[in-house]
Amino acid sequence: MAALETVLTVTILVPLLFAVIAFGDAFQRWLAQDAAAIQAARFAAEVGGDAPEVRALLADTLRSSGIDPERVLVEIEPARVGWREPIRLTVTSSAALDIPFVLHAVVPLRSTAIARGEVNR
Amino acid sequence: MLAGSLELGSLRLVAAKARAAADLATIVAIGDQDDAAFAATGAYRPSPDAEAVARVYFARNLDAIAGSLDRSPDEIAAAADVAVFREAGALDQRSGRRYDRPAVRVAAVVPVRTPAFAAFLLPRVTSVEVLAASVAR
Repeated sequence: MAALETVLTVTILVPLLFAVIAFGDAFQRWLAQDAAAIQAARFAAEVGGDAPEVRALLADTLRSSGIDPERVLVEIEPARVGWREPIRLTVTSSAALDIPFVLHAVVPLRSTAIARGEVNR
Repeated sequence: MLAGSLELGSLRLVAAKARAAADLATIVAIGDQDDAAFAATGAYRPSPDAEAVARVYFARNLDAIAGSLDRSPDEIAAAADVAVFREAGALDQRSGRRYDRPAVRVAAVVPVRTPAFAAFLLPRVTSVEVLAASVAR
């Protein structure tokens, strides 16, 4: 009986616990990444596009949220934006979901923010 | 139980993204001024197309979560209650807030698909209310 209980605990409760932790961590990272993307998109709109200071701000914000900016793909389109034109900033990272007996996967976390150019060239 | 927990977490994530989309839309809309009013009075007034701009950017920023929504981003943005307060001191009847500067406010209902909730006899679509406002700097 004790052995059966142990098996059930290990095969059901442990994956459940790991799933809650893994998905909670992924969701938290995704929200933090979203906030960083929005802030960077607004800044990119202010400075007129893809600039080193935009990427530096994004890297700082990501780092402060526990996300390694070196492992993140950043796309800013267009690279140079005019007044009242839309500018899209996309940040893509990956999160590992390691749930014993159930799932081992790496899922992409994509955050997109679209702002409006504020530089009148 | 796990599916329900994940669905709840996913719903909160999508709700946060929808609120961020509305927030960014109001920031974009209030960030552009009425040049003619500024030239005439020297005062900051939101652009005449601020309401349309807010709807467009709300829809564009909702696009990232379009797969989780029960209606298209364009439909949600079109149905949103967008208000532009051109004068300082205006009272927003919807939120009860008074804005000390010109402002743009977006209020919307975002229908999010929640299929796993059906197992718990809950609706397959959950409505998330979004309210965002930005004032001129």
